[in-house]
Amino acid sequence: MDAASDMSARRPLLVRLIEDYWGILLLLIAWQLWVVANSFNPIVMPTPVAVLGDLVSYPGVYLRNVSITLAVAVFGLVAGMAVGTGLAIVAWFSPIASGLLNPLTVLFSSVPVVALIPVIARLLGYDTSTVLAIVVIITFFPSFVFASSGLRSPPPGSEDLFRVLGASRLSLLQRLALPSAMPNLAIAFKLAAAHAILAAMVAEFLMGTSGLGYLFAKTKADFQTEQAFGASAVATVISAAAFLAAGWVERRVRERYS
Amino acid sequence: MNAAIAIDKASKRFALAGSSEGVLALSDLSLQIAPGEFVAILGPSGCGKSTLLRLVASLEQPTGGTVSVNGAAPGLVSAQHALGVAFQDHALLPWLSVHDNIALPFRIAGRAVDEAAIVRLIELVGLRGFETARPKQLSGGMRQRVSIARALVLEPEVLLLDEPFGALDAVTRRQMNVELQRIWSARQITTMLITHSVDEALFLADRVVVMSGRPGRIVREVAVPFARPRSTAVMRSEEFHRMVDDLTGALDS
Amino acid sequence: MRQTLLGALGIALFLVLWEVIGRLQLASISWPPLSDVLVMLADPDRRPLFQRAIGATLESTALGYLWGTTAGLLLAALAHLLPVMRRGSDRLAAVLNSVPSIALGPIFLVVLTRESTPAAVSSIHVFFIVFVSVSSGLQRATPAHRDLFSVLGADRLRRFARLELPAALPALASGLRLAWPAALIGAIIGEWFGAPRGIGILIINAMQNFQIVLLWCAVLLAVGSSLLFYGLLTLLERTAYARFS
Repeated sequence: MDAASDMSARRPLLVRLIEDYWGILLLLIAWQLWVVANSFNPIVMPTPVAVLGDLVSYPGVYLRNVSITLAVAVFGLVAGMAVGTGLAIVAWFSPIASGLLNPLTVLFSSVPVVALIPVIARLLGYDTSTVLAIVVIITFFPSFVFASSGLRSPPPGSEDLFRVLGASRLSLLQRLALPSAMPNLAIAFKLAAAHAILAAMVAEFLMGTSGLGYLFAKTKADFQTEQAFGASAVATVISAAAFLAAGWVERRVRERYS
Repeated sequence: MNAAIAIDKASKRFALAGSSEGVLALSDLSLQIAPGEFVAILGPSGCGKSTLLRLVASLEQPTGGTVSVNGAAPGLVSAQHALGVAFQDHALLPWLSVHDNIALPFRIAGRAVDEAAIVRLIELVGLRGFETARPKQLSGGMRQRVSIARALVLEPEVLLLDEPFGALDAVTRRQMNVELQRIWSARQITTMLITHSVDEALFLADRVVVMSGRPGRIVREVAVPFARPRSTAVMRSEEFHRMVDDLTGALDS
Repeated sequence: MRQTLLGALGIALFLVLWEVIGRLQLASISWPPLSDVLVMLADPDRRPLFQRAIGATLESTALGYLWGTTAGLLLAALAHLLPVMRRGSDRLAAVLNSVPSIALGPIFLVVLTRESTPAAVSSIHVFFIVFVSVSSGLQRATPAHRDLFSVLGADRLRRFARLELPAALPALASGLRLAWPAALIGAIIGEWFGAPRGIGILIINAMQNFQIVLLWCAVLLAVGSSLLFYGLLTLLERTAYARFS
């Protein structure tokens, strides 16, 4: 691992850029050429260069909406993971709760959550609380599923050890089950982090209140296609960054706890 | 004499899918271990010797007969945090340092961590300088040293060792036997060692009990005559070789 | 046995709770009792509507599933056989996965037709999941097996076909299972951008016209078809694990 990163540090910048980003560069260049070649109207399809221009020209609009979406995503992510982990702990303590909950969560984790947005909007109202609820639901399921399996997979022999040492249920949870669940929780975090922002954006798009999804819907309806694409580009970058950052956290946690 | 570990006509039957009577792992087995005695249980794999240890550790309940530790049920003894145990799987927690792994039994028992005792034990098992290392940074032999230090840290009434060196290579294993002999001589705790190595049993124990399997029962008991402290010279003596041959024969029969 | 009973009890409790909340109107008028929803679903007059919608959505989902799986497999194989492409492929996949689905809709609308936009959005979702699971699956062959193939004089392609690809099948099966709900979500979102029919259209129309029970019917149809295929793919996954790991 260290040797590999040493090598990557020694590659010339251009080689590194091409090796790491050939796919994305290819995509952007193809997009630019395609729009120019077809001489599309910018209302139909702007070039990536034009989108970048819009991003630079109106930073205030983007910043305002990004902060709203980001706040909802972060808050929902934290709440969803807390609820998921909390219920997993309840299921760990009680075989009855685990028996009742497990099939339901399997059922729900295969549900296309996007289809639930209109229903939740009808129940909670067309505002930010619905966006938040969607993010909580999206992040709840991976947290519950991964935390449950993590709590139940301690290092070999350690459960016997705790029993012989006369450990209480609480100390078993605190000193064995929870630390063993950390790598799994980190995986759940990685999966949920990128999805939190995208889910918030879809919900905002449907709800039409505020945030990046709203900006996208509004500018698209007003034929400000460049700004609509700008909103998407910002969401893409944040979501990809969240995915990468969460991946880094996951590697650190796995290193620490296993 | 009051036995530290008393096993009286213990049987253990495991349920088995597709079989109405299940598998009889132990049958009418009786064994007494005196306070301060080191007994090695020797047997081929699958003879039920680990099941015997798990009964004493209260990890399993006998289906017949009784098992007691210092006159009490094993479950009560473990609830008082008076058992020490080391498994073949070192069972160290990967997220804790050497020091914290050894301190774990204090924390589980809800007692104040006796730092002086941990320092003494780390010294005793020869791991000074490795206090902050994590298990994955240690060799197999060093992990087992930590595991044995952890087993001893609460000064248990009974020490249970389930093939603690079973996963080590032959050279490391011999070194660990010498170490364990030295450590045990320093504080003579009632000990039950499960092993399939004749050399290990003879070198470490006061008494060797040979088991045979299906169902598990005792086929032979031998008192070990060598004076303590023992050095590796013992293993080269003619008497040692004679007893190894004798016990190997008992294992094969 | 006990676990199965408890699980069935859990699901039954959930359904009863749904019915009771709806009957007593504990949540709001937007929460109809389960029985009302089921009655409408079973209504013969509405059957053609539901059949057209679910048929269109399933067709898009299946197409997107096929395209996405093919693309994911190809890129994963390419990155595996030509390691110099690996880092770039990983990043491309991560970025594609980070593009908001609602932004994919308008793009595909320009490139493709209204009818094939749902399948295209769906294929992007599937692509990422299949790419990630196959990439990790291709690395599952043990060093000992690789050494064996080298000693036997197998070339790079033969090793790929005879060792690494079979070793990756369980991971592919897991990916295929997880990809189905994602494919369905993609198809539903894709339909919002002007598809003539589909569950996504039904959901949006019902939402905008305050047809609460119809909305729940559409949601239930989506959930039901997702569960059905998810269950079938779980069976496929078990077979793959039993056979290849």
